[in-house]
Amino acid sequence: MAPIDRRLLTHIHWTLFCLMALLFLCGVLNLYSASGFRLEDGISVAPYYQKQLIWGLIGLSGMVALMLVDYRHLKTMAWPLFWITVGLLVTVFFAGKSIGGARRWLGLGFVNFQPGELAKISVLIVGARLLAREKRPLDFARLFCILGVGLIPAGLVVLQPDLGSGLSILLILGGMILFRGVTARVLKTACMAVPCLLPLGWFLLHGYQKRRILSFLDPSSDPLGAGYHILQSEIAIGSGRFWGKGFLAGTQSQLRFLPEKHTDFAVAVFGEEWGFAGTIILLGLFCLFLYQIVTVARDAKDLFGSYLAAGVFFYFFWQILINIGMVLGLMPVVGIPLPFISYGGSATLMNFCLVGLVLNVSMRRFLFKQG
Amino acid sequence: MSTFYEVNEQQTPKSGLLLLQVLIPGLFCLFSVRLWYLQVHLGGDFAEKARQNQLRQESVYAPRGLIRDRNGVLVAVNEPAYALGLVREDCRDVGATLEAVARLTGTPLSALRETYRRKVRRVKPFEPLILLPDLSFDRLAVIEANNLRWPGLEIMVRPRRRYKYGDLLAHILGYVAEANEEELEKDPGLSLGDNVGKQGLERMIEERIRGRKGLNQLEVDVSGRRLAETLLTRPQAGEDVRLSIDLGLQSMIAGILEGKAGAVVVMEPDSGQVLALVSAPSFDGNDFSVGLSPEQWQALRDDPMHPLQNRAIQSVYPPGSVFKLVMAGCGLREGLLDPAESVFCTGSIRLGKHEFRCWRKGGHGRVALERAIVESCDVYFYKLGMRLGVDRVSRFAKACGFGALTGIGLPHEKPGNIPSRGWKLQRFGERWQKGEDLNLAIGQGYTLVSPLQVARFLCAMLNGGWLLRPHLLADQAPERQANIPLNDEHRGRIQEAMVATVEDPQGTARRLRTRGLVIGAKTGTAQVVRLTDELKDLKDHEIPYEYRDHAWMAGFAEKDGRRYVAVAMVEHGGHGSSGAGPVLKAVFEHVFSKGFLARPAPGQGLAEGSDNGPN
Repeated sequence: MAPIDRRLLTHIHWTLFCLMALLFLCGVLNLYSASGFRLEDGISVAPYYQKQLIWGLIGLSGMVALMLVDYRHLKTMAWPLFWITVGLLVTVFFAGKSIGGARRWLGLGFVNFQPGELAKISVLIVGARLLAREKRPLDFARLFCILGVGLIPAGLVVLQPDLGSGLSILLILGGMILFRGVTARVLKTACMAVPCLLPLGWFLLHGYQKRRILSFLDPSSDPLGAGYHILQSEIAIGSGRFWGKGFLAGTQSQLRFLPEKHTDFAVAVFGEEWGFAGTIILLGLFCLFLYQIVTVARDAKDLFGSYLAAGVFFYFFWQILINIGMVLGLMPVVGIPLPFISYGGSATLMNFCLVGLVLNVSMRRFLFKQG
Repeated sequence: MSTFYEVNEQQTPKSGLLLLQVLIPGLFCLFSVRLWYLQVHLGGDFAEKARQNQLRQESVYAPRGLIRDRNGVLVAVNEPAYALGLVREDCRDVGATLEAVARLTGTPLSALRETYRRKVRRVKPFEPLILLPDLSFDRLAVIEANNLRWPGLEIMVRPRRRYKYGDLLAHILGYVAEANEEELEKDPGLSLGDNVGKQGLERMIEERIRGRKGLNQLEVDVSGRRLAETLLTRPQAGEDVRLSIDLGLQSMIAGILEGKAGAVVVMEPDSGQVLALVSAPSFDGNDFSVGLSPEQWQALRDDPMHPLQNRAIQSVYPPGSVFKLVMAGCGLREGLLDPAESVFCTGSIRLGKHEFRCWRKGGHGRVALERAIVESCDVYFYKLGMRLGVDRVSRFAKACGFGALTGIGLPHEKPGNIPSRGWKLQRFGERWQKGEDLNLAIGQGYTLVSPLQVARFLCAMLNGGWLLRPHLLADQAPERQANIPLNDEHRGRIQEAMVATVEDPQGTARRLRTRGLVIGAKTGTAQVVRLTDELKDLKDHEIPYEYRDHAWMAGFAEKDGRRYVAVAMVEHGGHGSSGAGPVLKAVFEHVFSKGFLARPAPGQGLAEGSDNGPN
């Protein structure tokens, strides 16, 4: 372990950190409104925003802890972490806690722990480790080799069943692979094969998942059932119009017409209260935040760090794409939260830690010259 | 530690970086276009939808106008009733909710499902569908206690019509009941579950007394809980009305007719106002406003005594000897009757092979017009009938308001029938027979009149010949419809004969004689069936009820410038005098009793009612 160099502090990527902090504060502010609902005698606010703040502090300390350790140690820890994760995922099947019909949680006494979340990080690190060694764009053999590594935990997660996390794992890994680059042949084949495989995937879906997709295609077919989320979310966003209804003044959320308003649909509350103007700014913040991660990937001293940053990029990118896409009615309803905006303890912790990882890569980008 | 220090010489893949840098603006463009589309392009529509989500409109019931009798006594009022409604949109599971309602209230599930199925097509979004129109207090409590567990169930307070005197005024007031499909279709002011006047005055003056519903705007949350209310339009109470009916008189008459079938009409000859209009037996209009069960309805409809029938205007009977007044009038009018000319009654008259009998077997001997009316001599009128012929009589009777509606302003009035040659030819394809002139002359055969028509005719005899529209509301001004073709002298002659019918020792209406009152009357006995010989010799009470004659008594009474016309018709009451006479006597005694006018006169004091005022 290398000692902590004071000079490292000066290299901290403050822009990235500030953008993250800004997004997080936007999220807390929005949560304050989203967790309020009107009763006959005024507004009552559930304490989600306080909890989120506390989780943010925990996340911040996790982030700092991660930054202290040189990220290159992760190269050696990658495989052990991976196998531990797989082990935990298998354990879930036998000793996991079942909540709402899905066996996803491991009880750790004081807190419930979701190995599915850990799987995302493990695959990210192992992926970065494997891809950093590739000298050429991936051909079929290498592609399947690396995808195969991701498929083990992804498959286990899907079996829990947690389709959302399983897909996330594959999407993060897929994004990293695209970042690395594939041969032209692989790209062409993939472009042709994916549309053929999509209908096949339909048969793998559960009934409720099929319903969600169908009601996404035509929300008005069942306005009080499966299409309700989409419809109410669009009404919330749309009724915000250009300038929004104002903080704490969103009727869709305050009167609880909007479901899941503090978690998956939190950004709909934001859209309703801050309007087009506010939402565009929020979107801009997310894009700047993503761009800062790209600069880290570009400037990283080694490829491992670069791939780590790319992995984190995709980790955030997919969530933003899927969540906002869903809220705006561009995608079916999938239970994926929006980073920093949606309420969620472990997700917040994860987000901070992953940003910490990127900051870690970033602040050590000059070390090698001296070392 | 070799891995740790391993430095990959390669540069970060350029294409990868490019990919990431393209993804970011792609994301931004995609979402900002979509945001623009939703928030700016369609923003107005969505804002409207959000408003509809949050705001609901609810009608506020307007109190139906109160009804009072002529002295200001309230007879129809509104009282709160609790109904159970179901708002579909707030309901998680309609089937389960219906099951819960069935369990909680003990109503059969099938009936609830049927009600739901029938009404669900008509109910507007977020409008409560009324499952049970009238909840008793203990059921109300059970529902209230479980209200939170079953969102979508709503207890609604609605006004219910209450008739304070039950069956006393049922034929006049009619009743209200839930509006049916047809009424909802026709009248945009009605919504599902509203009560509407179905019979009687409630139906005829529906527009006047219904009032206009107000509109309440509710702000609700997703489970339909009310957070705020704003009254957009105030409900306008229906107009209060005052009947021309005197409740005391009406109730006195109803008491006499108890257990009988018949009708009594009391009118003021100069104003056309109806002081009493009783039809027995009656029914209770209150049963309808809470919703009649099919069994109750069946029982009412199939009752052999037909309580729903308003016998004063909807039942028409042969007038019997009462028609002799019309015959006398016709004779005088046509100049074919000399009041001094007399006829010898031997107790019967022959026409061809038929013998037409006088009601008195021994005959009346020599009778002129007045005596013929006083003693109701059939033979005299047979001869008059032959002389006048059906055409003259028919024309005259129609001019006196028979065979046509009186226009009293109650639904389902019947015009009755005045036969004529043409009518018989058309109806039966047969020629008018000479013998039928004789039957017509004594008010038998095809002639059918309602008690109200007789009363209106008598009013015209007294008021200078005017046929007035009978009024049931105190504020209606006298309305002359036509003039009967009789001059003062002729009318005076008939009036005198009627007075003599009461005063003369031989008069058929002698039992009406009352000290201090000038009373004139005419009896009538209408045959229901042609009596066979075996029945003819029986005493009245020995004849089976349904074969007994209908008893008529039509008369007027006068004292100190006040006068009233009263007509009583008792079905199967036997002889006019004994069957219907006591009713008329009681009526006249009542209207001239000390207390009758001692009450506040119409148009003063409590009659104008201070409550329910400028609301």
